[in-house]
Amino acid sequence: MAIDRDALSWYEASARQRVDALLDTGSFAEFLGPEERRMSPHLPLFDLPRAFDDGVVVGRGRLDGRPVLVAAQEGRFMGGAFGEVHGAKLVGLLRAAREIKPAAVLILFDTGGVRLQEANAGETAIAETMRAIAEVRADGVPVIGLIGGRAGAYGGGGLIAGTCSRLAVSEGGRISVSGPEVIETNKGAEEFDSRDRALVWRTMGGKHRRLTGGADAFCADSVSAFREAARALIGRAPAFDLATLEAEHARLRNRLEEFGDCRDATEVWARLGVNDPDAVPAMDARAFDETVAGVGGANHDAR
Amino acid sequence: MADWRGDRQARDARLDAGRAHLAGRGKVVAAQAAVDLLEAVLRPGDRVCLEGDNQKQADCLARALSACDPGRVHDLHMVQSGIVLPEHLDVFETGIARRLDYSYSGPQGARIARMLYGGQIQLGAVHTYLELFARYFMDLTPNVALIAGVCADRDGNLYTGPNTEDTPTVVEATHFKNGVVIAQVNEIVDRVPRVDIPGDRIDFVVAADKPFYVEPLFTRDPGAMTETQILIAMMAIKGIYAEYGIRRLNHGIGFGTAAIELLLPTYGERLGLKGKIATHWALNPHPTLIPAIESGWVEQIHCFGSEVGMDRYIRARPDIFFTGSDGSLRSNRAFCQTAGLYACDMFIGATLQIDLMGHSSTVTQSRVAGFGGAPNMGSDPHGRRHPSDPWMKAGREGQVVGDPALMRGRKLVVQLVETFGDKLVPTFVERLDALELARKIGLELAPVMIYADDVTHIVTEEGIANLLLCRDADEREQAIRGVAGYTEVGRGRDRAKVEALRARGVIRRPEDLGIEPLDADRSLLAARSIKDLVHWSGGLYEPPARFRNW
Repeated sequence: MAIDRDALSWYEASARQRVDALLDTGSFAEFLGPEERRMSPHLPLFDLPRAFDDGVVVGRGRLDGRPVLVAAQEGRFMGGAFGEVHGAKLVGLLRAAREIKPAAVLILFDTGGVRLQEANAGETAIAETMRAIAEVRADGVPVIGLIGGRAGAYGGGGLIAGTCSRLAVSEGGRISVSGPEVIETNKGAEEFDSRDRALVWRTMGGKHRRLTGGADAFCADSVSAFREAARALIGRAPAFDLATLEAEHARLRNRLEEFGDCRDATEVWARLGVNDPDAVPAMDARAFDETVAGVGGANHDAR
Repeated sequence: MADWRGDRQARDARLDAGRAHLAGRGKVVAAQAAVDLLEAVLRPGDRVCLEGDNQKQADCLARALSACDPGRVHDLHMVQSGIVLPEHLDVFETGIARRLDYSYSGPQGARIARMLYGGQIQLGAVHTYLELFARYFMDLTPNVALIAGVCADRDGNLYTGPNTEDTPTVVEATHFKNGVVIAQVNEIVDRVPRVDIPGDRIDFVVAADKPFYVEPLFTRDPGAMTETQILIAMMAIKGIYAEYGIRRLNHGIGFGTAAIELLLPTYGERLGLKGKIATHWALNPHPTLIPAIESGWVEQIHCFGSEVGMDRYIRARPDIFFTGSDGSLRSNRAFCQTAGLYACDMFIGATLQIDLMGHSSTVTQSRVAGFGGAPNMGSDPHGRRHPSDPWMKAGREGQVVGDPALMRGRKLVVQLVETFGDKLVPTFVERLDALELARKIGLELAPVMIYADDVTHIVTEEGIANLLLCRDADEREQAIRGVAGYTEVGRGRDRAKVEALRARGVIRRPEDLGIEPLDADRSLLAARSIKDLVHWSGGLYEPPARFRNW
C-alpha cells in the first residue's frame, strides 16, 4: 500500500514508518534488521525488555533517485537512548559512508541521550559518532539531521546534532543537551519550571532553534515536509574546513554577546527583529517561514 | 417562654463584630483584614464551610483561616466538598479545626490518610457531592460559609464566573438558616456582569490579594493516549453506546473516556452513529469533546464546573452550553449531579481497583482520594420514573424473576479500565484496599466508590463483561475474571465457564464485536495533540502552559 507522505505525521510515526515514507518508495534496504536479533547485552541484567533492533533502524536507500544512507532512532523504545548496540549501528553506518560515498547520510534523531543502564558504552558511542561524522563530512559527504520526534534530540543526541552539516526541525522537535527536568533539579523551578511546557518549547523547541540559526530548515509535521527539507539541505551543505569552523565560533560568540542577558526566548526573538514575539508559538509553518525570512542570522554558512 | 430568635440574634451579633473591619463603604473588607474579620465572626465549635470545590478554591480565605489565633478560633467542624489546598489540612494541625465531613481530596489524599491514622482529624464521613449538599440542609448546616467569586459590587452582588460550582448551594444552606456568608472576590466592581448570588445573601466581601486558584482537572492530552485505550474506547462505542443507543450520559475524567470523545467524529462517524448516541451530556467542558461538538455530534451540555482555558470557546457556543445573559458559562454542581443521577442513561468511568464481585474503589492503603461525584453518577436511582430505550433494555437484561409488567429500567454503570494500571499495578483484586483502610482507621463504612449491584458492564482491553446477564454470583465472578487479562484474578479463571459465558454473549471479545485490535491506532483520534484541539476550536480554546508543546 502506498504511503501518503502528506498525511503521515512525523511526530506520530515510528522510526520504520519515517524511513519508509521519507525515501523513494520501496528503495530502503536495512542493515542488521530485527531478524538478526542484535540486542542489548546489558538490559537483561536490569530485567528490562529488549528490542530486536535496539531502538535504531539503519540502512541504505534513495532520495530522489540519489543514493543515501539513513539511520532512524525509535523514540518509543527507551526514549531512543544510545546503548552499545544502538551506538555501534550508527557508527558503523557512518564509517560505511566513507567507502560508499552516498549523496548524504540522513540521521533521524529521536532520543533523550545516553541509555543510563549502559552509560559507558553509550557515552563512547556518542564520542565515536561525532568523530565519524567529522570524518564523513571531511570526505565531502553531507550529514543531515532531521528532528521532529517525541523525544527530540537531547543529551548526547543534542551534541551529535551540533556536528551535522545541516539540521531540519519541526515545531514538536526539540534540541538541547540537558533536559528540562535536569535543569530544574539542578537550578530550581525559579530558574526553569519544567512543568511549564510552553516555556520548554520556547527555549528548546524547533521554532526557537530555527530563529536563532541552530537549525537550518523548519518543517510542518509531515513526512513530505521533512523529505523536501532533506532534499534542499543536501544541496546547501557547507564545506567542512577551517573557515566554516571559524565562522561558527564567531557566530556563537556573537550570539552570547547579543542575547546573553535575555531572560526569555521572546526577548531574543524581539531583538532578532520579530515584530510580535508572543505570536510566534501559534504560527503555522508558512507564517513562521515568513517571519524567519525577515530575521538576520537564521541562515548562515557556519557549522 | 421559648426563644424563637436565638440563632438570629447570634448571627446579628457576629455581623456587628465583623463590621468593625469594613473598609469604608458597603460590605467590602480588605485582604489584610481577613484574619481579623474571621476571628470576629467565628465562634469555637462552629460548623464552617470553606469553599473548596472540585476546581475553584477560596484560597485567600483558607490562608486567613489557617492564620487565625487558635486561642480564639478552635474546634471548628469543617464541612466542605473538597480538601484540595494544604491550608485545608493545616487548620487540623493547629487545633483551629477538629471535625471533618467532606467528599473529595485528590491532591491531599496521602496527607489526609496520615492525619486520619494519627488521629488529628475526627472524621464524620466521606460523602458524595450530592449527599454532602443534602446534609447542608439537614444536619450539617454551616454557621459560617467562606466562598469564592470572580467579582462583586459593594452591596455584595456576586458574579461567580464560569466556575459557579457549589457556591449557590452553600449560600442557600448558610444564609437562609441564620449563617454568615463571607465571599472572597478577585475584584470589586461597580456593576457585576451578571448576578449569580444576590447581594442580600452575602454579608462580607473580601477583596482578595490574588485571583482564586482553579485546578485544570479535566484536560487530557491526546498526545498521551495509548493504543490500548483506543481499543477499549472502540469496544465501548460499538459494544455499549451503539448497542443500547446511549444519548444521555456522563463521562469520567480518565484517558479511556477522553479517547471515546476523540473517536466519536472518526470511528463513531464510520459506524453511522452520529445523532444516535452521545447527544446530551452532564459533563464539565472537556477540551477533548471539542472535535465532537464541532462535528455536530453534541446537542447540549450541562456542566458541574468549568475548565481552565475553555471560557472563550464556551462563550462562542451558546447553543451547546448553559450560559448567562453576559455570555459566560453558568455551571452548577448540585443541579448537574442531579441531572447525572436522574436524567442520564449511562455513567462510564475508570477506577483503581475492582474486586471479584465488581465493587470498586479509588482508595488505596496510603491514599484517601474521596469520591467526588462518581457514586452519584455511578448508581442506579430507584426514584427514577421516566422510561427511555437504553434504560428499558438494561432493565429487561437484568430482570430474572417477577412480572414483566412491573419491570423497571436500569441505568448503565460502566467501568472502563486497563487490566494493569499505572506502574503495572493490577486493577483486578481479590479484596479492595479500602477494606483494610476502613479497619485501620475504624471507619464504620468502607469507602467503596461504586457498589457491585450498581455496576452493569466492565470493559477492558480483553473484552466487555455484561454483568446484567449474569444469573448468579459464580457467573458474575467468572465474567469479571474473563476480562481481567493477565492479572492474578484473570489467570484464576475457569476457562470452560468463561467460554460458556462468551457463547451466551455475557463476555464479548474484540473479534466478537467485529473489531480488529490492530486497527486501534492513534491515527483514529480526531485530535492527536492539544494543538489539534486548539485548531478544532478555531483558536478559541486557550490551553494552560503546562499542556502546551509549542
